[in-house]
Amino acid sequence: MSDDGQRAFGFSGTWKDYAPIAFTNLLLTIVTLGFYRFWGTTRTRQYLWSHTRFIDEPLEWTGTGLELFIGFLLVLLLLGAPYLFLVFGMQALIFQGHGVLAVTLALLSGFMIFYLSGVALFRMLRYRLSRTYWHGIRGGSNDKGWGYGWSYVWRNIVGSAALGLLIPWAMVSLWNDRWNKMSFGPHPFNAIALPGDVFRRFLLFYLFPIIIIVLSLVMGMIGAAFVAAGGAVPRPGEAQGVGFVLFIIMMAVAIYGALGAIALAYYSKFFRVVVGGMSLSTLQFEFDARAKDWFKLILGDIGLVIVTLGVGLIFLNYRHWKFFVTHLDATGEISLSELTQSTTAAPGQGEGLADAFDLGAI
Amino acid sequence: MTSAGPDESIWHYDGTSASRRHPRIDWTADGFSLTLESGVTGSHRWSDLVPLSGTGGRSVYGLRDVPGWRLGFAGAPPLDFAAHLPLVARYGRMIDRIGLWRAVALFGAVAAAVVFVILRAPEWVAPYIPQSWEDSLGDAMVGDFGGRLCETPASRAAIDKLQRQLGQDVPIRQIGIANIPIVNAVALPGGHILIFDKLIEQARSPDELAGVLAHEIGHVRHRDTLTGLVRQLGLSVVLGGFNGQVGGTVNGLLAMSYSRSAESAADRYSIEALKRANISPLPTAAFFDQLSRLSGGEKIEESMSWMASHPVSSARKAAFEHSAIKDHRYTPSLSPAEWQAIVTACTDDKHVKPADQFF
Repeated sequence: MSDDGQRAFGFSGTWKDYAPIAFTNLLLTIVTLGFYRFWGTTRTRQYLWSHTRFIDEPLEWTGTGLELFIGFLLVLLLLGAPYLFLVFGMQALIFQGHGVLAVTLALLSGFMIFYLSGVALFRMLRYRLSRTYWHGIRGGSNDKGWGYGWSYVWRNIVGSAALGLLIPWAMVSLWNDRWNKMSFGPHPFNAIALPGDVFRRFLLFYLFPIIIIVLSLVMGMIGAAFVAAGGAVPRPGEAQGVGFVLFIIMMAVAIYGALGAIALAYYSKFFRVVVGGMSLSTLQFEFDARAKDWFKLILGDIGLVIVTLGVGLIFLNYRHWKFFVTHLDATGEISLSELTQSTTAAPGQGEGLADAFDLGAI
Repeated sequence: MTSAGPDESIWHYDGTSASRRHPRIDWTADGFSLTLESGVTGSHRWSDLVPLSGTGGRSVYGLRDVPGWRLGFAGAPPLDFAAHLPLVARYGRMIDRIGLWRAVALFGAVAAAVVFVILRAPEWVAPYIPQSWEDSLGDAMVGDFGGRLCETPASRAAIDKLQRQLGQDVPIRQIGIANIPIVNAVALPGGHILIFDKLIEQARSPDELAGVLAHEIGHVRHRDTLTGLVRQLGLSVVLGGFNGQVGGTVNGLLAMSYSRSAESAADRYSIEALKRANISPLPTAAFFDQLSRLSGGEKIEESMSWMASHPVSSARKAAFEHSAIKDHRYTPSLSPAEWQAIVTACTDDKHVKPADQFF
């Protein structure tokens, strides 16, 4: 599709167009004590999807606010009762001296939450595909994701063993696992990315301690210089205190900054590799955002939120979707006559589980 | 019958194949049909047509119960066709019907009422919850505190004496000394009060303990812990609409800011009880002074006071000091021997579990 100079995916929205949606969503969400956000999410997605072109047609979002709301209520029932028991029951158990039992229960529920996060991730993707139409055809999956939940648990556990060296393997194989169970129309997605391709970038994390040692030496010297130069400061004890606080603040900024930069560099590579490993029938997908593009996106996010004193938060969805679409591409031909309606069972309710665990993004 | 198309600006997907078709539309007052190369479909009723919202300047319609069926127009549909169609939903059906601003005002009023009721209702509801329910809840929570309650016959007698002086008509069911190194005392549902050992260690006289104990007795008398539980339950349900973080923060802030007024009431009870028992409030005032130094001084506490669940120690100290009558002859709440029995309760009680094995 790229051969005629136009990319397979295009985004035609503008933030000025989107602003009325974002602001009315915020207003209605506040006055309804948060309950409007399910309908607000739906309006946002309708806008983003309908301004996203694939080849010759925009996408279409057909999910409803009510579905998301029902999903939320189901999860409230499913997790709310155990949660209340945990909060109040746990206190009682500890007070009565059954500390071991309390800890066991807490661990068990932690494990359940871990498992359910995996299931939630799967079901979120399935729900979104089942509500996304293109040329009157939708996607979906016949798998309900309960098995994926276990896969998520054991792969993440194995991944974090051995100093976390297998984390790239866990992430890539889970991505493939998830997408290989999804389909669009009659065609299954095929995800075959290799973990080896992201491994080198992942090793950056192991350089981190070394960077920190060097940084703290430099900062320490600056701090010492500051104290030595502090002739105007009346008491030496105070000067040392100020220098130390400055040192701690600078270290914290440096540590978070460096860690964030490494994570972003790794994630950009990860995303290129996993999307590049995906195909649908004869379509081959590609994602071309490099680390520098991700840096710009995140710095832009931070700047926007700070300058607008937090109001910019409501535009982050828009920015992220635009970033995602403009860097996504596909090559190959798709036969429209062979693209027939999906026969997968469409889930009846929205992404409540993912919502409960605050799983966002793409 | 009226017709439109076929032309490029009118398109159709049948929901089974992705092929785009350009039909001719024929319609009457009852319904419409589509004529395609492959034949005629319909007639469909107008009421089955569903306008899709957020379609980016195009007009797209779906057909009830046929997923993926679409009829689209490049701009607005022909006027006499559109006349039969329902309007596109914008903010949601209910809001569209009454208008955005009226909906905002309505929702805002309802939300304010709900929050008000949720904040106030626990006080109205709590008195109607049977004492027996509260008692069983409290017993389930406390039990024998995992064998960590210190008691000797002498300490029991001393505690009983304090209780007689400070809470004669309050339904207290247990005052226990817990072998846990925290400078604190708590009131729990069902008339349970726990004094942690470290608080006794820090107190310099029985009258200091009496002031703190009377404060907790005030909580029991007002059923504050039950009110707090009900409030927390209500808030967590109502604020569930926001995502976890926002809801949790607001919940915590409201629950806390509210318990401040309960704290002040408990302090007032304490001052009254001390006065009735002819116990000097000054040692308690001194104790708050000591506490405020522990929590980092007055300035820090004042700046945090809206975040903290207890009133600022310096303000509490002043209230207790103020209640003292000059040159009045107060009686000590306990004799030196009785006070000693409480101080050494945890070392004298041979059956109590050690503090460091909390889990």
